[in-house]
Amino acid sequence: MFWPMKNTVTAGKDDVLMHYDIVIIGAGSVGLPLAYYMAEKGVSLAVIEKEVSPGRGQNRAAIGGVRATHSDPAKIAICRESIRLLSAMKDEHRIDINWKQGGYLYPVYREKDARELRALPKVQEKQDLEIGWISPERIRELVPGVNMSGLLGGTYSPGDGSASPLLTADAYFQLAKHAGADFYFSAKVRHIDIKGRYINAVHTDAGAFSAGLVINCAGARAREIGLMSGQDFPVNPDSHEAGITEPVQPLFDPMIVDIRPAENSQNYYFYQNAEGQVVFCITPSPLKPGFDCDNTSAFLPAVTRRMIDIFPRLRYLRVRRTWRGLYPMTPDGFPLIGYNSEIKNNFLAAGMCGQGFMLGPGLGKILAESLVDHSRSYDFIFTQLSPYRTFDNEEALK
Amino acid sequence: MNNTMIAGIYKDRKAGAFVNNRTYKIIDFKGLLVASGARERSLLFPGNPLPGIYGAGAFQTLVNRDGIKAADRLFIVGSGNVGLIAAYHALQAGIRVKGICDILPRPGGYKVHADKIRRMGVPLYQRHTILHAGGTEKLERVTIAGVDAGQRPLLDTAKTFEVDTLLIAVGLAPVDENYDTAASFGFPVVKTGDADEIAEASSAMFGGRIAGLNMAKRLGRNIRIDPSFHEKAEILKNPPGKTFPKQKTVLDERFRPVIHCVQEIPCNPCETVCPVHAIRLKKRRGNILDVPEYTGGCTGCMKCVAVCPGLAISLARRIGETKAEVVLPYEFIPDFTKGDRLDLMDMEGNFLEKGTVKKLRYYKPFRTSLVTLEVSLGNAPDIAGIRVQPEAETRPSKTISFEYLPEDAILCRCEMITVKQVRDFIREHHVRDMNQLKALRVGMGSCGGKNCSLLLPRIFRELNIPPEAIVENTRRPLSVEIPMHVLANEKHRDSGEG
Repeated sequence: MFWPMKNTVTAGKDDVLMHYDIVIIGAGSVGLPLAYYMAEKGVSLAVIEKEVSPGRGQNRAAIGGVRATHSDPAKIAICRESIRLLSAMKDEHRIDINWKQGGYLYPVYREKDARELRALPKVQEKQDLEIGWISPERIRELVPGVNMSGLLGGTYSPGDGSASPLLTADAYFQLAKHAGADFYFSAKVRHIDIKGRYINAVHTDAGAFSAGLVINCAGARAREIGLMSGQDFPVNPDSHEAGITEPVQPLFDPMIVDIRPAENSQNYYFYQNAEGQVVFCITPSPLKPGFDCDNTSAFLPAVTRRMIDIFPRLRYLRVRRTWRGLYPMTPDGFPLIGYNSEIKNNFLAAGMCGQGFMLGPGLGKILAESLVDHSRSYDFIFTQLSPYRTFDNEEALK
Repeated sequence: MNNTMIAGIYKDRKAGAFVNNRTYKIIDFKGLLVASGARERSLLFPGNPLPGIYGAGAFQTLVNRDGIKAADRLFIVGSGNVGLIAAYHALQAGIRVKGICDILPRPGGYKVHADKIRRMGVPLYQRHTILHAGGTEKLERVTIAGVDAGQRPLLDTAKTFEVDTLLIAVGLAPVDENYDTAASFGFPVVKTGDADEIAEASSAMFGGRIAGLNMAKRLGRNIRIDPSFHEKAEILKNPPGKTFPKQKTVLDERFRPVIHCVQEIPCNPCETVCPVHAIRLKKRRGNILDVPEYTGGCTGCMKCVAVCPGLAISLARRIGETKAEVVLPYEFIPDFTKGDRLDLMDMEGNFLEKGTVKKLRYYKPFRTSLVTLEVSLGNAPDIAGIRVQPEAETRPSKTISFEYLPEDAILCRCEMITVKQVRDFIREHHVRDMNQLKALRVGMGSCGGKNCSLLLPRIFRELNIPPEAIVENTRRPLSVEIPMHVLANEKHRDSGEG
């Protein structure tokens, strides 16, 4: 796998064309680590971003959970790599991103969920993931004060964790810059100029770029960028609201995921970050498709009611701030990773379905190895996550 | 709904209200009128987070509303009307006011207020800045210094004052975030008062009338707003205008008013209170900003002396060949009686002579004491007030004490981040977006970025980053922290786990 080196390019008369080996569209959860791991390998690289600074698309809206306990080999492999990279960030680069290995906990109160969740670890155990069914008493040890009434047990994966999306984005931004990547902000892509089967130039508000390879890491806007290069990738966002409390002393370690549906909402999850703040997010029901990221009045009463119910100790904790972010969804809930079948110097890494933050670091490292060093070790990922797959297997653990 | 804060305006045209610190109500609305006033700006200097340093507005709330003597010895930064009035209220509460400093060459507030404060014996240090606030557990001293033409402190002019409280009165910023949110959602919304534009109360009261009519109009009522309303509103918003020389006064045996008010300000009670129309605004502009003058015919009723909020009118008359009598307003509980001799000051607070108290009465409708004093004829037209604070009380400390480390100032009080940390981060990370500073936790604290966002523009300016290049912090609900059980609207707290 390699990209054709610099095309013969013709610049528009008003543009000075800037040449790079690689241009990444989007300085977000995926684009930033990808920029670092690729620039580190010595390629000349530019990141173009429509916002004024890094991580201002959906990275800023991520709550920070990182788990390897998915239900498919590709995401398991990518997120395992993410956990390895994020947990080593402090030792390797002396950058504190507030990594915390608190595990993920799915407490179960319904027989039906117990049956389903008890079946899942079998898939995951095959991948040597550290995950298992634990008793209500063990759950109480992990989350002192948890609502024990009707608690049947739950699955727990101690290897999973969390980090600050803000600090992680900033870390990769600094690392990528030091590794030689150039960043262009306020650089909204206006037009992609195609010549034959190649992208000739990417025209932005900050100038025009040509590259041996253009990687679409545009997150929620990946479809828009794809259409400019003639491909309609099925990435359609819906929105979730999230919030954060004041900081307090440590109350509990794991990310708690309550998978029960309720009136107007589906699952929700929360954890206490390294700063002591409880961060939470809920999936609305019905889903809210579209790009709207403005807060709505229904969110706080709904989510706080459910959180207090499962963990009454949160009752007096004060909520500080709320926000709403996008899950760039694909038809089957899995990312789209692979070359554009029509345009040879165009690659897609998008449709992270709300998991861009946890997939980003691992994916960045794997793509750098695959696209720059031609490693074939990850071909199974490209097969599974091909943008041209049939989309008939739904993700079990969204 | 009293004691209620709007914690958020939501996209579904609802407002989240935090009521009595107890309940969270989601309110449906058609239109939003924002009259939420202003918040006080703070200031960056080393020692700024020490307890005992806070806003002059908060101080006035404690002293005037809650009746608390909130300090013993006070210094004030900022000579705008807020700082000047805070000094006056402090004196009335029996608090020593050691001085007021301001980096500007002249007082920012009305001249009548500045003069009044000077007459009472409070020094105004113009072209001075605060260098350092010191103390172990709480504020014990402040050090100020004069500044050069580039507003850099002249360290050899440093003066230290021993105080327990330092009031910051360096201006106000509109509380308009709910307006901005509602406007961005396209809801009918009107803002008024300080939330719209910082100005005096008289202007706010009139502006409110216009805002109400505007809101009704936005909601579809057929309403015409008298164009003269807008004109009047603009006049009331005016900052102080020109200053004129004082009117020449010749005294005879009949009382007449002497007006120590020479600057154009929107104020006219003297004109309206006079039963014989002896005081009129001299028509220069033809509006309320004009300066009052005496036009003859005084009956000596003293209403003008008692009514003037600037204490800028005295009555005077000649007694015999060399003596005179003056009547001065006094808004303190008198600690003197007939026959006592008091320090009398000219308009701008210079000592003139000691006068003998001849008569003391309380003018109830205006809740002001009126003091009649016997003085020399020569000084009588210039005598404008009584010193209430002895000069010795306001002298700087003999030992000058400060560490000049301006970068040690705390920019973010929620997370205690220094100016140096923020500057270094901006330089190293090429920051143009205030949101990036969240990596330092600036803007992540309990204030929701309300304070740091007002201080950051100055830091960027000092680093030669133009304001148009800067992206502000994103505002999001909640604007006040609310406990989860309140948001969840729990009917009753069960006695289980907690």
